[in-house]
Amino acid sequence: MTTTRHALISFGLVLFTVGGALAKKESAVPATLSKQKQLALVRVNVTGQSYDYFRPWQKKAPFSKRALGAVLSKGRVLVTADLVANQNYVELERAESGEKTAATVEVIDYEANLALLQPAEKTFLDGITPLEIAPDTVVGDRLAAWQLEPSGALLATEGLVTTVQMMPYPIDIGQFLTYRISIPLQYRENSYTVPLVKKNKLAGLLLRYDSRSQLVDAIPAPVITHFLKDAESQNYRGFPSAGFSFSPTRDPALREFAGEKQKNAGGVYVTTVEPGTPAMKAGLQVGDIVTAVANNEIDQNGNYVDSLYGKIEFTNLLTSHAYAGDIVPFRIQRSGNPMQLNVTLEHRDAKDYVSPPYNLDQPPRYYVLGGLIFQELSRQYLKEWGPNWQREAPQRLVYLDHFQSELFSDRNRRVVILSQVLPANSTIGYDELAYLTVTKVNGKEIKSLDDLAEAVKHPIEGFIKVETEEDPKQIELDAAQVGAEAQDLQENYGISALHRLN
Amino acid sequence: MKRILVLIYATLLLGPVLDAQESTPARPPMEPQGPERPGPWRSISPGQAAVPVPVPVPIAPPKPNGPVQKSLVRITATSVEPDYKAPWNAGGLERGVGAGFVISGNRIMTNAHVVANSRYVTVERDGDPNKYPAKVQFIANDCDLAVITVPAPDFFKNMLPLQFGGIPTLESTVSAYGYPIGGERMSVTTGIVSRVDFQLYTHSSVDQHLAIQISAQINPGNSGGPVMQDTKVVGVAFQGYSGDVAQGVAYMIPTPVIKRFLQDIGNGHYDEYPDLAITYAKLQNPAQRRFLGLKDDDRGVLVSSVVAAGPSNGILYPGDVLLAIDGHPIASDANVELDGEHAQFEEVVERKFKGDSVKLDVLRNKQPTTVSIKLYKPWPYSVQGHSYDVRPRYVLYGGLLFQPLNLDMLEAYRTADLRVRHFFEYFVLDQLYVQHPDVIVLTNILPDPINTYLAPYRGGIVDEINGKKIRTLDELAKAFADSPDRLVIRMIGDGPPLVLDRKQVEAARERIMTRYNVLKEQNLEEQPASKPAEQTNKT
Repeated sequence: MTTTRHALISFGLVLFTVGGALAKKESAVPATLSKQKQLALVRVNVTGQSYDYFRPWQKKAPFSKRALGAVLSKGRVLVTADLVANQNYVELERAESGEKTAATVEVIDYEANLALLQPAEKTFLDGITPLEIAPDTVVGDRLAAWQLEPSGALLATEGLVTTVQMMPYPIDIGQFLTYRISIPLQYRENSYTVPLVKKNKLAGLLLRYDSRSQLVDAIPAPVITHFLKDAESQNYRGFPSAGFSFSPTRDPALREFAGEKQKNAGGVYVTTVEPGTPAMKAGLQVGDIVTAVANNEIDQNGNYVDSLYGKIEFTNLLTSHAYAGDIVPFRIQRSGNPMQLNVTLEHRDAKDYVSPPYNLDQPPRYYVLGGLIFQELSRQYLKEWGPNWQREAPQRLVYLDHFQSELFSDRNRRVVILSQVLPANSTIGYDELAYLTVTKVNGKEIKSLDDLAEAVKHPIEGFIKVETEEDPKQIELDAAQVGAEAQDLQENYGISALHRLN
Repeated sequence: MKRILVLIYATLLLGPVLDAQESTPARPPMEPQGPERPGPWRSISPGQAAVPVPVPVPIAPPKPNGPVQKSLVRITATSVEPDYKAPWNAGGLERGVGAGFVISGNRIMTNAHVVANSRYVTVERDGDPNKYPAKVQFIANDCDLAVITVPAPDFFKNMLPLQFGGIPTLESTVSAYGYPIGGERMSVTTGIVSRVDFQLYTHSSVDQHLAIQISAQINPGNSGGPVMQDTKVVGVAFQGYSGDVAQGVAYMIPTPVIKRFLQDIGNGHYDEYPDLAITYAKLQNPAQRRFLGLKDDDRGVLVSSVVAAGPSNGILYPGDVLLAIDGHPIASDANVELDGEHAQFEEVVERKFKGDSVKLDVLRNKQPTTVSIKLYKPWPYSVQGHSYDVRPRYVLYGGLLFQPLNLDMLEAYRTADLRVRHFFEYFVLDQLYVQHPDVIVLTNILPDPINTYLAPYRGGIVDEINGKKIRTLDELAKAFADSPDRLVIRMIGDGPPLVLDRKQVEAARERIMTRYNVLKEQNLEEQPASKPAEQTNKT
């Protein structure tokens, strides 16, 4: 059962709308800080451009972001993936001297919202004592948010960790361990990636901030550690998943239905097992009750007892604790019989979804045919409708994206949409069509833009016939006219290339 | 005392027309969404509304419109609005005021929305202190018209029935009569005919008919009043935009719609508008025309889909080109010429009655053919429109309230659920009604120990019970009635099954009904809600 979870604004951009929130009494800088000569912080200046999904051949106007990065060992700088997604140029700046150097993005994980930068000049970070990771933050601990004054001096604000639990990250795939901290953050120009520090060690990185409730959600040290460890391997694998969904078993009638005879037995009810996923390969079935994962007992709500945090959702065992390729033992009850399954975890890539959940640093695929713009449905496309895209984007497409695992048994496909129509001679009468899902072109089934590109090569008696799920169901173009007008169309609308398929 | 009455009155007056306005921005599902932007006048209008400033009275029409005063009546209707969130209750009482006018046969014509859901209707006339109880004879919710009558023997004695005219020409002057906000007595406003076009009739929210836009001010209380030109009725005032959407846009029901209604009820029964129940696309693209084998003669529209529950099913097919309807050539922009005027080709169907046939010239696979379709109204559309004078259907079992999806239910719960909204929007277009004639939603849970863990199932759509597909509310009620010891209810989608123990449900029945004052556990029939007035007066 999907849980509703939008407690905070779950969008990547950190909203520092602190306007009017007067500076509170500034927390004392931890005494030990003053002894440290050079902070393990650098400024990070990013300019980038995101792709325009409504005009997929072009990029939007450049943006620039100023942020902080945490200096780690081996000359690496840790920032959020949000900051450097769709970047054109990244620059590091020493806080105390203003010295600058270019930097490259070494590893980026959009799902965990983390990225590692490396300065072009190897000596750039010399003299800075890197931050170590503080792995053991728990509820009740006090963390300091480190920001920089324009002078380069430290601005530290202290807050209290109120919650440690699994929450969704900006790219809404599964849940990750998150610290929630009550903290009155102040606005500073470069407060994008704000490190949270415990006794001079890095405890977390700011994920989002709600200025009204003064609550910060932070990417916690265990997720950072997981990311860093994975980043050291030859190929970055990404956070693993098992590929099933579940619901609590508090309802005694449901437990009894599933064959669980013991009254107080724990476990979660498996509601779906997605085809091709590790759970499916391991033989997990809908209706199974998962009672233990990696030898940790799971209660009726889906929590296990963590040695550090106490009760927390068992998915933490599969994300923070395990890596892609790990074999995790599952204890299950099937029709009342206990069984053990060994699940070999995998990372599920964005491209392994029918409607990919994100597509950053990569140009969108498209195909322009005589003024008809064809694209593949993705959440990135839907997000062009803004923060309220779930309500404002075409509801048919939102529905297809949201229920994709239920609607498409074939995971190796895309949904091709006729996104918009550019008025041209060949599209007279079609110019009001938009957001239609394409089923066939010239009689061939369309499951990707590649299918479409191939199908348009074979006109029917000189016509290209496009069939759509929605009205008008069919439209035709004159193949010869489309070819003859292609150049005019490109010049008229400033289309650099009529298609991009890689 | 007087003061209080006036206040209550003012709020009541706003009832019917506001209702119509709120649902106006209903859009076809796939239309790109742009919010209705108020025009530049917006900043001015609130001031005007708050402080009534006398403005020059528009010039009176050149000819007096005859003795409208001897025809116009003021209608006060007390209605019971069904409560979709507590469907076992009778519902809330509302009172509204509208206008009506006497027509031939000792009848009074008004809007359906003035008397819909009414339990008690009175009429008053100028210069007569009495309030006369009235009865609704015929109501047509799909075209917002109704005919009522007054049993009092002498009521019609001194009244003059009005005659109907035709469609007034653009820019000609018309006068609207009624009892709008701003005073107690009859009011008259004038304006010109601005536009003649198909419009959504917001009373049902699903029907489109011809409507005439006029520039005469129409406000709450004008509803049902005659719009006159040269001593004849040329329309019935019925809906408009509120000031913050558009200024001075008011609509009247034109006489072709009125005359059709009066003809339809001639047999003592209102049969509603029939419909071809197809969707079509204009054929303006030259390449598409050539592909379909059409000449370059600007004729024909393309059939996109055929509703399986409609009269065209098995007669028309997607891909057919409609060339003519009853001999009228259909242009590629879907217009036909009728009586020297251009109108959408559906207007030909609009003027017909249930059981009539329509002849279509069709080009199918490049071959001409002619088909005849016997018309009726396909039922699935009614789910997407408002219902009146019926009690909501529901089944309550174990504190779980199951209701079939329809517009009234959706609005009552303000459902944002993506799946439920999808089933509503695409109920007809995607032919979802074939699998789910009733889309049964678990709309609410009356908390009780037996359902304490079931809250997450709320909003789910019932798919099957104990392995059997559930297509209608009747089947649901039967599954509950015949249930074995354990009921396993599967919802559409990925959730876990909802499991109920029959014995526990039985044991909780009385408890739940008493605790929540539930009078009846189910209503399977959409029976007319109106009962003789004396029975329902007290509610």
